[in-house]
Amino acid sequence: MSADLAIETHNLGRIYTIRNRRERRIRKEVVALRDVNLQIPRGELFGLLGPNGAGKTTLIKILTTLLAPTTGWARVAGFDVVREPQKIRPRINMVSGGEASGYGLLTVRENLWMFAQFYGLPSREANRRIEELLRRIGLADRIHTKSSDLSTGLRQKMNIVRGFLTDPEILFLDEPTLGLDVNAARDVRRFIREWLDAHPDRTVLLTTHYMVEADELCDRVAIISQGRVLACDSPEALKRRLQRDALFDIEITAPNGLTSAMLEALPGVRKAVLTDDDGGARLNLILAADSALPGVIHVLTERAVQVRHLTKREPTLEDVFVELVGRPLAEEEGSDEQ
Amino acid sequence: MSSEARPFFAPVPKASGWRLFLKTVVARAYPRVIGQQRERSWLFFDVFLSILAVSAYVFVYRAIGAPEEYVGFVVVGGAMTAFWLNVLWSMSSQLYWEKESGNLALYIMAPNSMMAILLGMAVGGIVATALRAAAILLVGSLIFHVQYAVGSLPALAAVFLLTLAALYGLGMMSASLFLLWGREAWHLANLAQEPIYLLSGFYFPVKNLGFWVAVAASIIPLTLGLDAMRQLLFPSGAALGFLTVPVEVAVLAVLCVLFLVAARWLLGYMERMAIREGRLLESRR
Amino acid sequence: MSTPPIYQSTNLPKTLSAAWRSFRIATWLGWQIESNWTDPILFAIYSMLKPLASAAILVVMYGVITNGQFENPIFPYIYLGNAFYIYVGAVMTGVSWAVIDDREHYRTLKYIYVAPIRLPAYWLGRGVARFLTGSFAVLITLAAGVLFLHVPFHPARVDWPLFLLSLMLGVVMLALMGLVLASISLMIAHHFFLIGEAVAGALYLLSGAIFPLEVLPPWLRPLGFAMPITYWLELLRRSLLGDLARGFPTLSGFSNGQLLGILAGLSVLFGLLAAVTYRLCDHQAREKGLIDQTTNY
Repeated sequence: MSADLAIETHNLGRIYTIRNRRERRIRKEVVALRDVNLQIPRGELFGLLGPNGAGKTTLIKILTTLLAPTTGWARVAGFDVVREPQKIRPRINMVSGGEASGYGLLTVRENLWMFAQFYGLPSREANRRIEELLRRIGLADRIHTKSSDLSTGLRQKMNIVRGFLTDPEILFLDEPTLGLDVNAARDVRRFIREWLDAHPDRTVLLTTHYMVEADELCDRVAIISQGRVLACDSPEALKRRLQRDALFDIEITAPNGLTSAMLEALPGVRKAVLTDDDGGARLNLILAADSALPGVIHVLTERAVQVRHLTKREPTLEDVFVELVGRPLAEEEGSDEQ
Repeated sequence: MSSEARPFFAPVPKASGWRLFLKTVVARAYPRVIGQQRERSWLFFDVFLSILAVSAYVFVYRAIGAPEEYVGFVVVGGAMTAFWLNVLWSMSSQLYWEKESGNLALYIMAPNSMMAILLGMAVGGIVATALRAAAILLVGSLIFHVQYAVGSLPALAAVFLLTLAALYGLGMMSASLFLLWGREAWHLANLAQEPIYLLSGFYFPVKNLGFWVAVAASIIPLTLGLDAMRQLLFPSGAALGFLTVPVEVAVLAVLCVLFLVAARWLLGYMERMAIREGRLLESRR
Repeated sequence: MSTPPIYQSTNLPKTLSAAWRSFRIATWLGWQIESNWTDPILFAIYSMLKPLASAAILVVMYGVITNGQFENPIFPYIYLGNAFYIYVGAVMTGVSWAVIDDREHYRTLKYIYVAPIRLPAYWLGRGVARFLTGSFAVLITLAAGVLFLHVPFHPARVDWPLFLLSLMLGVVMLALMGLVLASISLMIAHHFFLIGEAVAGALYLLSGAIFPLEVLPPWLRPLGFAMPITYWLELLRRSLLGDLARGFPTLSGFSNGQLLGILAGLSVLFGLLAAVTYRLCDHQAREKGLIDQTTNY
């Protein structure tokens, strides 16, 4: 493997066995991850985009030495996650969104100081960094607040500071903006970007199910669904795959029995997604060419469905996801909880 | 890259080896000591009410006309219950709570030793509990006019510290065990409370349980620790003692080493299981 | 603008039905939490070992000092007091621990708070499981006493109506005391002890459970007489032991009826205290934002 790779995985897989508690029999096997091959160079902000239960957290757990793979191997900072966890741990850190860390009765500073100590950071330096990072993320005025008194968003910001405090070579951010409001999420994204700009040799692996986040932040994105990586490239390159296609959003009146399958049977229609919308429906189309549009309009007219609004637009990561997975991300949510 | 991108902070050498170990111990002990000071309701429930509970046993002895030194036995036993409860509730069950609150994964993932985390909890627990134990001892001794006859203070201190070391070693060991047993942890801690009061002779000399029961009970460090402390504290202690103090000290020392080694091994086992099975670190609430 | 309701909603049947629903669901939930952690055999062993060990401590203490004079009436006094005292810890802990468990462990207190249920009824329901396991523990302890330690028990001589009435009244009284503690639990952090057990441990001293109140220093005795548990335990002893219990000095001047009256009166007082404490603590907890705090340290 190359020394420039921060993370490398080869045919990585993980199967969870669920045992019957009383009888100790294997009741069920759940494949959380299969044949994942990733090569993430140092200095990259790499995104894992996928719905809940896609296997993102499982992958992060394996890479942070908290879970052993059942097949394949993974190296982080050049070390094997199973055989050399002690060499990996001083070099990494992890932040999980929606999860508290530390102790409610300690203040923000005390909690962060405590975690810094676990990484061997000198106290004075830890306190200096805590102040600096809290200032940058907009939490400086809460340094002496007990963490149990913080709002969800502020607690999450504290959690994020904890991850950056030890200046890790590789940082794993598992849904770092989960549950945050728009402004707080923007603060967090800005903070991550600034840190990477200031520390170009650091690597971040970020999982998210927010398209915008992946699009806005990541150098490269892997789209993951049901434990498999379906595509891996820069957001631009992923979108470029669809550039030759024509993308249309059509707002229509009630569909009158119209289905996606009917439209996808038409020549030139690569993908059609029909979703209910306020009093009508929304139709997202990926067509091989503009010339396929009249066929679609014809079917709509046949069913007495009126077109309220029609837009042609540039491809987004959401379209790439739909193209690869067959369904929009919102529909995928929760459909395959691991 | 933006133009004003200056590093947030320069890299600094981080402690490793024994210095990291020590830092971790101090850092994990910190919330134990400070957390308790932040919310003082425990002073009433944990100190005041405990004194009342211990007094109940004193009055039972008075009601049945027991010799006065038994009152002293109860007071000393009552003070030591504080440590037993602390080991049960905030050592043995603690990794389980850490898992539930999401901290355990962060502890395992950090470069520190998990032994240091457990030791930190133990040190913090000892410091925090010492206050409760001291309050019971002091107030109990004053109210009930307990007469002590300390022959050798250094010997007493040594027995006390050795007892605590072995006891918290047991707590560190059971922390991993309780985690492996998952949801049962809470119940196991609850279960171990009264039977240990009985077997370790918190309220009476353990000799009264008979030789073999006392031998079996000696696996709990408090049994011999308490017996040795009573022998060193009371004039009639030696007559009512189970084994001689030097023998008890030797057994305690062996227990201490045994539990610490077992704690280390079990922690490793727990971590391996957690990483292999993948479910151990997940909250099951 | 909507039309204001003609009647202010003080719909008693609705309130009662909400309370019953809360109680029922909480009882089911409490039982699931309490019993589902292991297989029935281990559960049974667990339920036996704890109370028997507790009783054995007193038996050993008594045996050592009196050289095993288990025929002396003071022994059944101590033994029965201790056996029924199990209810005190069990019921008070069952009701009050639900607050800390829901808040810090399951993190559901806030959802329970916003649900259209009656919180006190919910907490009482959560206490039922502990009451049932506690009953089992009491039975086991009593059986051990009768079979192995000469605790006198003659079913024909037991005043069953008095026993059942006292037991029921006592459990209600303990549940109300549990509610006081549940309300206080809203205000305090998650410490490493059970508030119910801690308070029960302390009241052990004051309620004449294991020694007559005369043994206490005179200045502490009034507190003992103010405790409903004192009268409850006396009633249970009298109903089970008959004339033997009349030998205990503390409450010999009172008839059974008087004792029942005092117990009922004090229970009502504790009911009022529970209502006031609940209102105060609920208000304070919401004002300080403590409903969804996690205080682990």
